[in-house]
Amino acid sequence: MRPQHAKRPFSIRRLLAGGWLLLLAGAAVLAPSETIIPDLAHVSQPPFGVGHWLGTDPQGLDIWQALLQGTRTLALVSVPATLLTLLIGAGLGSAAGFLRNSGWQPTWRSLLTGLLVGLAALAQGPRLTPASGGLLVVTVGSWLLLGRFGFSRRRVALPVDTLVLGLMSLLESVPLLILVLAAAAVQRPSLGGLVLLLSLSCWTTPARLMRAVTLQVSAQPYLEAARAAGIPAARLLAAHIWPNTRHILLVRFPLTVALLIGLETTLSFLGVGLPPEVSSWGQLLATIRLAPTAWWLVAWPGLALVSTILSLHTLGRTK
Amino acid sequence: MPVLLRHTAQALVAVWLTLSALFLLSRSVTDPAAFIQSTLSANTRLDARIDQAALTQQLLRRYGLSAPLFYTSWQPAAGWRWHGTGNQYHQWLGQLLAGNLGISYRQGAPVRGLLGEALRYTLPLTLLATTGSVGLAIGMATSLGYRPRARRLVLLALHGIQSFPLFLVAVGLLLLLANPDTLAWFPAFGLGLEPESGNWGQRAGELLYHLALPVLSLVIVSLPGLVIQLDGAIQQEMTRAYVATARAKGASRRRTMRGHVLRNALLPTIALLTDLLPNLVAGSVVVEVLFALPGMGRLLAEAAATQDYPLLLGAVGLVAVVRLVAQWLTDVAYQLTDPRIRL
Amino acid sequence: MKQLFRGFVVSLSALILTFCSTSPDATTSLVVRIRWASDPDNLDPLVVSNSSASEVANLTYCSLLKASEADNDFVPWLAEAMPIVQWADDSLLLVSYRLRPEATWDNGSPVLARDVAFTLKVMNCPGLPTEMDQAMFGFIRDIRLDPTDARRFTLVCVGQSPDHVRSSGDFSILPEYVLDPEGQLRSIALPALRQTSRPVPAVVVAFARRYQALELNKHPERLPGCGPYRISDWQKGRYLTLARKTRWWADTLSSPPPVLQAFPDQLTYQIIPDAATATLALRRGEIDLYSLMPAAEFVRLQQSAADQQRLRFSATDSYEFLAASFDVRKSILRDALTRRALSQLFDVAALVQATQQGAAVPSVGLISPRVKAYYHDSLPLLRFDPTTAVSLLQQAGWQRRGAGPWTRPNAQGQPEQLRLDLSYRTGEPAYETAARQFSAAARAVGVAVNLRPTEQSVLSRQLRAGATDMSIRTFSGNPFSYDFTPLLHSRGIGASNNTGFSLPASDELIDRIATTDDPARKARLLRQFQLLLHQERPFTVLYFLRYRLAAAARLRVPVTGLKPGYEAARIRVEVPQL
Repeated sequence: MRPQHAKRPFSIRRLLAGGWLLLLAGAAVLAPSETIIPDLAHVSQPPFGVGHWLGTDPQGLDIWQALLQGTRTLALVSVPATLLTLLIGAGLGSAAGFLRNSGWQPTWRSLLTGLLVGLAALAQGPRLTPASGGLLVVTVGSWLLLGRFGFSRRRVALPVDTLVLGLMSLLESVPLLILVLAAAAVQRPSLGGLVLLLSLSCWTTPARLMRAVTLQVSAQPYLEAARAAGIPAARLLAAHIWPNTRHILLVRFPLTVALLIGLETTLSFLGVGLPPEVSSWGQLLATIRLAPTAWWLVAWPGLALVSTILSLHTLGRTK
Repeated sequence: MPVLLRHTAQALVAVWLTLSALFLLSRSVTDPAAFIQSTLSANTRLDARIDQAALTQQLLRRYGLSAPLFYTSWQPAAGWRWHGTGNQYHQWLGQLLAGNLGISYRQGAPVRGLLGEALRYTLPLTLLATTGSVGLAIGMATSLGYRPRARRLVLLALHGIQSFPLFLVAVGLLLLLANPDTLAWFPAFGLGLEPESGNWGQRAGELLYHLALPVLSLVIVSLPGLVIQLDGAIQQEMTRAYVATARAKGASRRRTMRGHVLRNALLPTIALLTDLLPNLVAGSVVVEVLFALPGMGRLLAEAAATQDYPLLLGAVGLVAVVRLVAQWLTDVAYQLTDPRIRL
Repeated sequence: MKQLFRGFVVSLSALILTFCSTSPDATTSLVVRIRWASDPDNLDPLVVSNSSASEVANLTYCSLLKASEADNDFVPWLAEAMPIVQWADDSLLLVSYRLRPEATWDNGSPVLARDVAFTLKVMNCPGLPTEMDQAMFGFIRDIRLDPTDARRFTLVCVGQSPDHVRSSGDFSILPEYVLDPEGQLRSIALPALRQTSRPVPAVVVAFARRYQALELNKHPERLPGCGPYRISDWQKGRYLTLARKTRWWADTLSSPPPVLQAFPDQLTYQIIPDAATATLALRRGEIDLYSLMPAAEFVRLQQSAADQQRLRFSATDSYEFLAASFDVRKSILRDALTRRALSQLFDVAALVQATQQGAAVPSVGLISPRVKAYYHDSLPLLRFDPTTAVSLLQQAGWQRRGAGPWTRPNAQGQPEQLRLDLSYRTGEPAYETAARQFSAAARAVGVAVNLRPTEQSVLSRQLRAGATDMSIRTFSGNPFSYDFTPLLHSRGIGASNNTGFSLPASDELIDRIATTDDPARKARLLRQFQLLLHQERPFTVLYFLRYRLAAAARLRVPVTGLKPGYEAARIRVEVPQL
């Protein structure tokens, strides 16, 4: 029941999609880097006029230039944020689903050492000083000291699943927009901060999906057999689990890019988006509320956005 | 029974940890005086002649923000210090155990009542939107399963729709369907101009009429994600041997889909339940701002922007509790759909 | 259906009025629906903390005096006339009022001096949220009731500024008969309540508990004032409805002054946060009045034929101005020449055109050109001139090599670069446009500008901490008070004087302006002050805003240059002159 186009990987649609993405990459490289100078004499000008062939926004910014610069923002902000999101999500999600609550059993020795070091770091307070060298002493000291006790060689099951789920519910209990709004009420996030904030709060959905699929795959009889045969966990993951769970991430990639661009637009709508010098498609889209009749504010960035998401989607399908 | 007890105890500990973390985080990273300052600067009656520093101190005392935050604190100069029970966390926890969520700084009213009022507006909106989009998603995904050509087109369209942010969809609907220049079929805002009157049916009709556009925009935005995810899972399941077996034994496509494939394909989608349920109570800031509905989303956003801690924590805590419940429900649902999974 | 019907009734009544040209006080009821951007949040009369709440307070309660734009001053409201002022010994001010004899509460009992005394006691009652009131009216130390006339009383105030006289009458008077029917607070003197060191008397504790049990923040209708309206319905976040009292005391006056007029039978405030939605609602007739409209939308509606039919547009000059303010404590901005050079980089004309559709008034300083008596009209307006900017920078000691940055030695002799942080409130397009224009112009002459759009609360913290070099924001003023102490006096540093500007000469001028009541002298001093600011330039005024208002064509809305931009109580139905 495989879809037809799998037999011809270089269909016209895939060519088009690849071409569009290449075009975007080119635009991202070639886009002018200096901040756009607002043309206050031509504010909200419709497209195909003199000087601004795609029109201007209500602030007098040229839409063509803003689109070009938005491409670079896309390449430098949205795509890295998506990759980071998926990476964290896939890692933690499959760890939770595969290890569950008994899959990882470190010795008391390593566990307690880790805990002690953590406590020492906490007691030292939130700063990095020459005294941080003391941490190393604590590490080595407690490792050696604990080695003298018999119990420290026994193993303890670490509830990875519970921990990851707990972390997810803590993060998700604060709706993302609220988190960003609250953060902006304290200090407006910088560009890197925004990327980190977005990835750190968006990874939970892919993680949850990965966990579910991993749970399902590891319950299959052949995996039980492989486990019983003593195949190491790393190989199990690499050879049997990931090939069966990867599709979730591929489906998720264009969705996450779209989600992040959408979020960024919504943030611009709520007044806490990227810095004003950084043009983005989201920012362009958000200006529509200043001039509801200016269709060109939505048309061009919208067209670019839809083409990009569809291209990513087309190329992302491997089946 | 012990299993149930253990689960409940675990959930309670999780709730306590989550709420404590939120309490301490929200208050430790923000400047308590900032909230007072924003109140003062928004106050149109105050002229600038007054002594703002003294006023800020008095107001901090009124809101209980002058006490230390936690039992201990860290200062670079003095190191760790012990504050005893006279701290904000202790007082908050005591009140919480007594069922008191505190008083909103901005509105001066109990948080519990404010949350109740907001939910009255948010729940109809989100419930309608969620049932609508889940129902539509299941219907679409199952009917597309055996129609590769239509499936490709619909998926393409859904991916296109997916790329539009909610705000744009909502503005678009508003400008298309509630605009005297185009089509003025639906009201532009709110839930009707006057207090509810008439019988039950009329009121429900009025509500549906006013909620049509907000619900529609939420459905349009959440549908693609659901359909795409479910469809991916269905396609995955269709390659399995049992589908061929079922078909070989003479089950119709429809029956195979409904009876076998959907059941298995729903499993990863159930994971999305933990996203959907909390969203029911969290509301949607964008839709509520745009359509002037006084729901949870707006309440939360305003509380976050003005640093109204009791309200923010109460609302976020509610979302957190619902999420934990949803998590528990998801796990139960996993076991129901696939008994091989042990938790 | 119901709304349709209501709309039909309203338009029918308008039609009838149009044809019959009867008086506006016809028997048909006038319902006006007004857009609000935000909820009043808290309607406790002690905690009126935002503009929506103070609008409600002004319609449900009366104060002794009320600001009137037409008179450029406060006018008597609940007071019979402006107060008689006596300067007692060295620092006390005795302000004597008499209440209007017609004024009554809803139960028919007269408004008396002891209600004023009661209000002052409530505003100083321990255990109630009175911090704001104490901060604003703490200068009223005592009240002396006249033993012979129950309506006459004297307020004992500290401080000698004429502005204190006006503020002494600017609080809502609360009814004693509702809150304290037995008059238990009468036995306690106001100065005794203000002393925080003494234990609080049991009567006062009981009173505070009674007050809080009323939950006025949610149920303001439990404390009806002597204003023309009462709150008939309030759904938080949705709407608030005020109903005209059928028998209000001022109706008995033969010719009530403007402050005592109230025409609409019902005022419904609809809370619509988003501007685009509000515009749609206005055009569909779901609301009747939209004030403080964005310029672009206003012009767009004005040009549409259909909207010209159904709407009526008006715009007034306000007393609110947009300004770029400098932090003069920063080393790079320590001299007036640099500040003047940077000011030359604002293209005010283009900004007014782009953000205000040409409808805003450039000004030489912080006095609106509308106030002809005080405006210094012989000073030149700000002109966009990068060449002058460059030569001013050179005069200020800045040097530039090639295309590099401007540098000069600072006070310690170390070289410093001319680069600026520019903060403004996020989400306000006019600020952002001005910031971008300035940044582009500055970059062209070699000055690097870092734009920092900031959330309101963060911005006010930045300004107080001096964490930003420049900011673009609005300052609001009024035509009554010319006390610049908080804004520009050395006493205001650390509170509201965010520019950190102070000079002995300006301090002295500010003090003299604040204590002068003679118009001619005041005009002379204000002109001197404008000249001084023009030279020193702690901030540069870009333009004074206009308040734009669109309303249903049938309504005749009195507009003002003070927020909210209209007088709700005096809205009437249009009567054609036949």
